[in-house]
Amino acid sequence: MLSFISKRLLVALLVCLTVSALSFGLMFVSGDPAIAIAGAGGRAEDAEAIRQAYGFDRPLVVQYLDWIGSALTGNLGQSIYFNVPVTEIIGNRAGVTLALGFISFLVALVVAVPLGVAAALRPNGWIDRLALVIAVSGQAIPSFWLGLMAIVVFGVWYGWVPISGADTWQGYILPVIVLSYYAIPELMRITRSGMIDVLATDYVRAAKAKGLPMHLVISRHALRNAVLPLVSLAAVQLGQLLSGSIVIESVFALNGLGRLAWESLLRSDLPVVQAIILILSLLYVLLTMLADILNAVLDPRLRGGS
Amino acid sequence: MTQTFSIKGLTTLAVLAASTALTLGTPAVADKASNTLNVAFAAEPEPLDTYKIAGRQGLILARHIYDGLLYKNLDTGEIVPALAESWEFTGPLTMEFTLRQGVKFHNGADFTADDVVETLNTVITPEYGTRYSISVDWIDSVEKLDDYKVRINMSKPFAGAVEMLADALPIYPHAFFAENGSAGIAATPIGTGPYKLVSQEPGIRYEMERFEDHYEGSPKSGATIDKISVRTIPEMNTQYAELMSGSLDWIWRIPPDQASRLEGRVLIISAPIMRIGYVGFAPEAMDGDTPIADKRVRQALIHATNRGAIVDAFAGGASEVLNTPCNPAQFGCEQDVTAYEYDPEKAKALLAEAGYEDGFKMEMVFAAMPRPTAEAVAADLANVGVTLELNEQQYASGIGKWRAKELPAFFSNWGSYGIGDTAFILSNFFGGGADDLVQDAELATWLTEADTSSDRDVRAKNYSMAVKKIAEEAYWMPMYNFNVNYGLSNDLNFTPHPDEFARWWGASWK
Amino acid sequence: MSDVTIETARPSVWRKMRGNTGALIGGTLLAVIILIALLAPLLAPHDPIAQDLSRRLLPPFWHDRAVPEHLLGTDHLGRDYLSRMIYGARVSLGVGLGVILVSGAIGITLGLIAGYFGGWIDMVISFAITTRLSLPIVLVALAAVALGGASLTTLITVLGLLLWDRFAVVTRAAAQSLRHQEFIMGLRSIGASRMRILFLEILPNMRATILVVVSLEVANVILLEAALSFLGLGVRPPTPSWGLMISEGRDNILFDPWLIALPGSALCLLVLAVNLFGDGMRDITGPARK
Repeated sequence: MLSFISKRLLVALLVCLTVSALSFGLMFVSGDPAIAIAGAGGRAEDAEAIRQAYGFDRPLVVQYLDWIGSALTGNLGQSIYFNVPVTEIIGNRAGVTLALGFISFLVALVVAVPLGVAAALRPNGWIDRLALVIAVSGQAIPSFWLGLMAIVVFGVWYGWVPISGADTWQGYILPVIVLSYYAIPELMRITRSGMIDVLATDYVRAAKAKGLPMHLVISRHALRNAVLPLVSLAAVQLGQLLSGSIVIESVFALNGLGRLAWESLLRSDLPVVQAIILILSLLYVLLTMLADILNAVLDPRLRGGS
Repeated sequence: MTQTFSIKGLTTLAVLAASTALTLGTPAVADKASNTLNVAFAAEPEPLDTYKIAGRQGLILARHIYDGLLYKNLDTGEIVPALAESWEFTGPLTMEFTLRQGVKFHNGADFTADDVVETLNTVITPEYGTRYSISVDWIDSVEKLDDYKVRINMSKPFAGAVEMLADALPIYPHAFFAENGSAGIAATPIGTGPYKLVSQEPGIRYEMERFEDHYEGSPKSGATIDKISVRTIPEMNTQYAELMSGSLDWIWRIPPDQASRLEGRVLIISAPIMRIGYVGFAPEAMDGDTPIADKRVRQALIHATNRGAIVDAFAGGASEVLNTPCNPAQFGCEQDVTAYEYDPEKAKALLAEAGYEDGFKMEMVFAAMPRPTAEAVAADLANVGVTLELNEQQYASGIGKWRAKELPAFFSNWGSYGIGDTAFILSNFFGGGADDLVQDAELATWLTEADTSSDRDVRAKNYSMAVKKIAEEAYWMPMYNFNVNYGLSNDLNFTPHPDEFARWWGASWK
Repeated sequence: MSDVTIETARPSVWRKMRGNTGALIGGTLLAVIILIALLAPLLAPHDPIAQDLSRRLLPPFWHDRAVPEHLLGTDHLGRDYLSRMIYGARVSLGVGLGVILVSGAIGITLGLIAGYFGGWIDMVISFAITTRLSLPIVLVALAAVALGGASLTTLITVLGLLLWDRFAVVTRAAAQSLRHQEFIMGLRSIGASRMRILFLEILPNMRATILVVVSLEVANVILLEAALSFLGLGVRPPTPSWGLMISEGRDNILFDPWLIALPGSALCLLVLAVNLFGDGMRDITGPARK
């Protein structure tokens, strides 16, 4: 088990390094950072001054090694735009994104899993149909449309919740609803198909034939096995929720990492972008590793695997 | 079994119905009651050290907190005293200022010559990293003559010097600034201005309160609003919703279509600004191997574009078609120039004359312009056989390619730092620097002369010659001057200014 | 050695489809949309990119300000919305198909190889998958646009090169479980080549799983295209893509909500069709459960 974990850890670190190197390169391809920082009124001399000041004229590899070297000692550099340490800026905003991500994830789980199970129990029944509707609409409605409609209906029309900002906990209600709406379809589908598969196995049929009540069949036998693919997907979903909320954060004026990443990207605030990518990829990788471990714990067959 | 479809269909229709039947409620009470002005910006203000700010948002906030030696009264065009009571040129490259006495900073410190000397001498050093070198590279050094007298030694003649001193170069408290530097002043802004910063979440939220001890005789005096609360709301629709529901009192940069829809529900004001849209042609791009190296082609392109219709459709409000590479409101922007009317037939004739009767293909990069305007230009040019490949870029990538001479045409805009003087636009594009892809020596000479002379007539004459030549050679297709739409609470009195700097110290409740 | 062909006990696919309502509805809807896309030039009343600046933002027929020539109104440049909606089907289907083909080819191949051969090949490919999943799509899209400009080709290339992960993950898992099956081992023992086994035996057995992934991914691709267009990194205007139309209509969402509601609903319908069809096909063609 230990070698399993340590191997995974090593891979995780390697992935993060690769991703950060790739994104570093990509940022330079996207445009000259010196010009972006100089801003729309900047003249060529201003851009040149910036280039020298921040060392953008050095070879890419040198710049990257310089950055990763400091990053490994905990120094993520200084934000070019805000002129304060990157850790400070991220610290301020990470709380919002984490809260948003985790709460949405929990809400999604609480809705998706029971719905998936219920749908699986009676395939093609009305719950199944309802689940399908939710799944599809959740997949096809653009998030900003849903967000804006939610704002208009619940914020403007009815005035039940604050329209934007995260000053109070009520400000999280709409964004959580919208975000979880997008996580629900997949979680539900996987639960449903996993349950269907498991319910059809001889093992479960035998349990049912023995006269075991349904809820025990589900909780004791079926769910345990159906949960396996769910765990992997859940990890991916959580990772995506944490990193993919640019649109939601913009619409609801929430000051999270997603918006920070996008805006920093646009104004070439490299240290901030690099730091966020590093953190998010670390998070994602750790989550999948956790999922793998959980799976191995739940299903011994997977432990010795490749 | 159409149940699923109907459920889905009904859901969609329900949402559609809800969205089309919107009655967006009656506007609630503005914050007139608590005498707080609630403001929203879509873009984040930068850290509040004026010398490092590029965007308007941060500069607007900064001008409420800090003051400069002088101030420009935009209604009269005059430069009036601010922190300096009087000034004079004591030599071709020296200016002396007599400073005002009895001025206090927000932290209680007294304003003296030390503050001017410390601030200016620090920000002109290359290590400081002042964002726009044009604002400080004309200063060589600043000396203290006595507690209320300073001398600025200029490094070169610069006609825009006085403009710069008018609020673009704020004065910081010397003790605090010397100890804490740029990061310190941005984290804890201390100035002499009409409002002091009470709290901030950088980039997110700012709270300002009126400064009771703002100096008498200030051009910024008379503020009646107690508090100003500024938030960043990136989504414009959210801003409209908040404005209509009364939780916001002041927003800006509303696109014309939405502005006309908001009219009636809230107060909408449209005001022209210094910023102008332009399509720059680069005859030297791609080593001159491009159709627009030929003057007739350039003229044809301008004839082919229905700029009037574009302005009406997209700019609206106070915007007008321009024929000059500068804003008519700017000093030196000669208006008696060759104009190319909308005339597609003439365009085709010119193209044929230049050997392009079958038209040609050309790439045009556009940045920081609304997509529809570029599409409209492309559609017009297509009518005379010119196929424009539109390429939208971020401003940085676009400008990078322009400077690398990879683009024959670049469609963007220039704000001239909000200053009503041609010095802040023409020399950037035609003065021989990196953004000058025309490299016309005659133009460069005239512009240098105009930029450095202190004689208004000499300046006007040289700018006039330059503007006329640029129009004649069709180096630019000037588009239109921008206007800004402000969305205000119905209870608010607010006067906009053409330099895009909101002056909330002049606002009041009805 | 009889010449008589023995009828298999399982009924043909087509007959089964008629029995499965999901596949039927989905399939019909999909067929309709495909037809609309193919017949666009005949169906559309106007040129989808023709501008008319004097007739901007006219509302659809259910509004009093509506105009009869433009059943679904016009957009901010005066272009007929109905025509743009019809041509939009082409773009959505084209992007969906194009990306799935590219990403599917890459992902399935990588997944098969990784799952079947295992060992260090599997490690390398798994590493690539995890790296890819941690890399933000937006960043890559931004770089691609800076390099090649925003266009249909750039979009399909970028998404195709990025979205192979789910194909790879799923086929890898399926290949892993299949390779230990008796019939595969049997084939190896009689000397069948690895390639043959991979592509002629294992791959066909994954049809159902792949179909599910395709239906999930098509929705994903279409939404991603809308999201990228929203951020300005997607298809280049004046292309009538539903995703782009949504992003262009964004500014007017409070006042002219149909600009977003119409293409949004079209996307919903397309995704619904694909999912229903995919699910139905999976139910039909999937191997009998043990």
